[in-house]
Amino acid sequence: MFKKFKKIAAATAAAGLLGLALSACSTAEKAATEADCGTEKAFCIGVVTDLGKVDDKSFNQAAWEGALAGAESTGGFAKYVETTDSKDYAKNIALFGDKGYNVIVTVGFLMAEATVAAAAKYPDVKFVGVDQFNGTDAANVTGLIFDEDRAGFLAGYLAGNLTKSDKIGGVLGMKEVPPVRKFGEGYEAGIAYAAKELGKTIKSSVIYHAAGDTAFNDPAWGASTASQLLGQGFDVIFGAGGNTGNGAITKVAQTAGAFCIGVDIDQWNTVPEAQPCLVTSAEKKLVKGVTDLVIAAKDGTIAAGNFVGQVGLSDYHDLASSVSQEIQDKVSAITEKIISGELATGVKP
Amino acid sequence: MITLIKRRGSYYFLAVTLATLYLYSQSANITTSVFSIAVTFAMPLALAAMVGIMCERTGIVNIGIEGTLLLSSFVAFYVAIAAKSIVIGFLVAMATGVAMSLLLALMSVTWKMDQIIAGTILNILATGLTSFFYIQGNMLPNMFRQKPIPGLSNLPFFGDVLFKHGLLMYIGFVVIITLYYGLFHTPWGLRTRAVGEHPSSADTAGVSVSRMRYVNVAIAGAIGGLCGSYLVLELVGSWNRGFTAGKGFTALALMIFGRWNPMGALAAAMFFGLAQAGANQLMINGTVNIPPQFVGILPYVMTIIVLAISAGKVRPPAAEGQPYEKGQS
Amino acid sequence: MSKLIDEVKDSRRKYDVGSWIVPIIAVVTAMLVASVLMMAQGLDPMLAYKSLFTTAFGSSEGIAATLGKATPLVLSGLAVTLGLRAGLFNIGVQGQLLTGALASAWAGYALTNLPPLVHIALALAFGFFFGAIVGAIAGYLKAFRGVHEVITTIMLNSIVMGIVDYLASNPFKEPDQALTRTPQILDSVRLPMFGNFPSGFFLAAALAFLMWWILGFTTTGFRFNTVGRNRFAAWYAGISYKKTIFFAMLFSGGIAGLGGAVETLGITYRFEPAFNLGLGFDGITIALLGRVHPVGIIPGAILIGGMRAGAANMQFDAGVAPELVDLLLAMILFFVTAPLISRFFKNSSNRSLTGGWGN
Repeated sequence: MFKKFKKIAAATAAAGLLGLALSACSTAEKAATEADCGTEKAFCIGVVTDLGKVDDKSFNQAAWEGALAGAESTGGFAKYVETTDSKDYAKNIALFGDKGYNVIVTVGFLMAEATVAAAAKYPDVKFVGVDQFNGTDAANVTGLIFDEDRAGFLAGYLAGNLTKSDKIGGVLGMKEVPPVRKFGEGYEAGIAYAAKELGKTIKSSVIYHAAGDTAFNDPAWGASTASQLLGQGFDVIFGAGGNTGNGAITKVAQTAGAFCIGVDIDQWNTVPEAQPCLVTSAEKKLVKGVTDLVIAAKDGTIAAGNFVGQVGLSDYHDLASSVSQEIQDKVSAITEKIISGELATGVKP
Repeated sequence: MITLIKRRGSYYFLAVTLATLYLYSQSANITTSVFSIAVTFAMPLALAAMVGIMCERTGIVNIGIEGTLLLSSFVAFYVAIAAKSIVIGFLVAMATGVAMSLLLALMSVTWKMDQIIAGTILNILATGLTSFFYIQGNMLPNMFRQKPIPGLSNLPFFGDVLFKHGLLMYIGFVVIITLYYGLFHTPWGLRTRAVGEHPSSADTAGVSVSRMRYVNVAIAGAIGGLCGSYLVLELVGSWNRGFTAGKGFTALALMIFGRWNPMGALAAAMFFGLAQAGANQLMINGTVNIPPQFVGILPYVMTIIVLAISAGKVRPPAAEGQPYEKGQS
Repeated sequence: MSKLIDEVKDSRRKYDVGSWIVPIIAVVTAMLVASVLMMAQGLDPMLAYKSLFTTAFGSSEGIAATLGKATPLVLSGLAVTLGLRAGLFNIGVQGQLLTGALASAWAGYALTNLPPLVHIALALAFGFFFGAIVGAIAGYLKAFRGVHEVITTIMLNSIVMGIVDYLASNPFKEPDQALTRTPQILDSVRLPMFGNFPSGFFLAAALAFLMWWILGFTTTGFRFNTVGRNRFAAWYAGISYKKTIFFAMLFSGGIAGLGGAVETLGITYRFEPAFNLGLGFDGITIALLGRVHPVGIIPGAILIGGMRAGAANMQFDAGVAPELVDLLLAMILFFVTAPLISRFFKNSSNRSLTGGWGN
């Protein structure tokens, strides 16, 4: 039986470089080696994931890829630990802190307090908190935050321009999770803006998973809910909620003529099943943000406080031909306005 | 007793039919859509409940359904990818389900271990194996897609609700109906139930208790493999850790709700699916502004209320959970 | 009647912790099998185990962390055990534990101006009480309406999850805070430490011994065991089946709720839905590992607690995914219960600790 697994592993690892890096080992072979961590010789980056794994096709994975890219350009060494119990944040951060790592990236807003506490304990280590608003004056903590509502707004605006049935839906994770709520409300605001601009009424229905421990891990619910929307004529669907959202967009991909929009990172590569419908993703440039901050930490230019990462829509990829030049231009124009802050989304933070 | 259940069942059936007719007259499209989605919510739960029914009717408690679904959906996904064929994935997933079942039978029939422990072992074994060996970044070559059945799919309402699904869904319906017929209208069913109710009498009558239990538990495993395949190869199309999200446990409740009867469990699953699709519809319509948590718990609260009002005594197969030893009374 | 007493005595013997050798062999065998898997992945099992166990048991901080993880597991294991003894399969420990965790968190931050000891006792009582209510719903429905406890507890788990989530994100939410969580409890209501060690563990262990005494040597325990063994025998002995079932479920829920309360007051200091994930389900494993014996679950809880505490270090040092712990648990449970080993060492077959759904 095990042989079978290995065979599959070998066959599938070749599918992508990423898969290879992940399956080979949890450490990356770089110029520096692990043994040098804590000495002058090496620049070491540690990543502590939130509940979840570095292959979650979402923010944990993006943070890890960012750390890898950062290690590559700084000639450093990167390593991760996956959290399995949210009571262990401090302990897992300490694994890297005690070994003298230079930068520790903590992923997810739930870890904000543990990160600030660890920063006081390890004053020489630079901390990067992904999705964590840093309201403290800690000198060695940089929160990497994103305006999810802006990304959601752009997705909604695009959806409003793409829809033919004037019905747009969303299948999202838990509303209590701030980034999810901001994505959802921004999305609806974008749809409303597009409707007003086009002078028509567009029905928008955003369905949140009803909480519980499977809110982000219930692809079957996501798929059925997407079917329900599709069956009632909704023709653009935004999936934002980990595996639940991925289940939704994968379902949309099986319906001709419907579009889906991914979330967090460019899901063209991470959820290839959705490619037939995936017009874009409401993206937080997590990989770039983490990479930039790691490099800044190496240079000594990293600033405490908060670093607002870029948001936007991902590439249209193969579906560019389905989006008319006129719409593409309109979306670019709105993107500029939204990013510059000229146009507010109206979503409360 | 049986007539009582039947009579009560027909009241429910009548009530549901009337309610459906009313809704249908209000909005045919939405009613049809809600019912057809309810079927997709219900089928995996119903099939998982069939796994439980097959085991328990023959005297084996199986709380390892969740593990069977998890491992077989995992295998279905990766084998389909490696073999570039969803049919092979489906078949190997059924074999995996059978293997899980045989492990259960080995522990509970041959070794006479505690059956709840045996099921728990299946669950954590599947969790451990799948999350330890999971590799991301793979894609199915294909999926079981919607194939409307010619003729039948043109029926009003029923065409959309029942006859516009994929192959595995149709197989699922056939399995459930066959199981119902088999259990209550064939000699095999009689023997199965005898082994589950009173193994010593069955033994006296010349039925091999162990063999009967092995065979039925193996069939249950194959149904588990079908359910896992349906989830991954027809409904969702991708796999992730914790993919089955507790369906195997909900199925235990539906099995008991349906009184260890395939049709009863199917009805219970349909009730559950309708509640879920209905809750979604409330959010789609946006007419009510209640917290999503409350919408989410609605099906569970309704189940408890219905059971509290009407359940009466539910009686499991009598010999369930007990290993059989010859000479035991 | 005398036959009945014999039967109960016999049951007491059956539930004994039994030989220590069996679990130890089971653990070693499971570790050997797991090392084959690790080697096949190109990892170093010796390094992994060294890291896992020195983290969990190699220092007083490590032991403290292990005991901290073990504490709620002892209580959830006890809750499952109590149910099984009365013939009830309480899958709802997870929900009862969550209820208790939230209730005690509320008592910990909302009630003020109380003397510390009174406050701690009150907060623990809140946890017990609300956990017991959730258990009692299932108990009432089982005893008086004949609704099977497995259905109700599965349903109640989901219901509680929704309600608790709603409460923690609305009325009980920490003000000016984006996260779904309650305010922190007052410092004075935190469970004290005995040196490095969490006092909650000793509380849980004391409760386990108390339960052992109650189940083994009192008439209450006799009632539970008799109902669990044979409902009709209980009827002959004049024991009220309904009352016993109801109270067994109530206390089982209460103990689970207490587990949540101890976790809140001793470790997390506030309620956050993600804090208590999986604790209730681990309780089922632990109850079975401990062979449904109240004291037998303590070593099981410590072992699982230790493995959970050391999993991250194992990944850090040896690159082994933390899911290995789940695999190990499955195999340990398998080997502990597989008669291949236990028959070899002792003469009893260990069939039917739980005996199906109902009576």
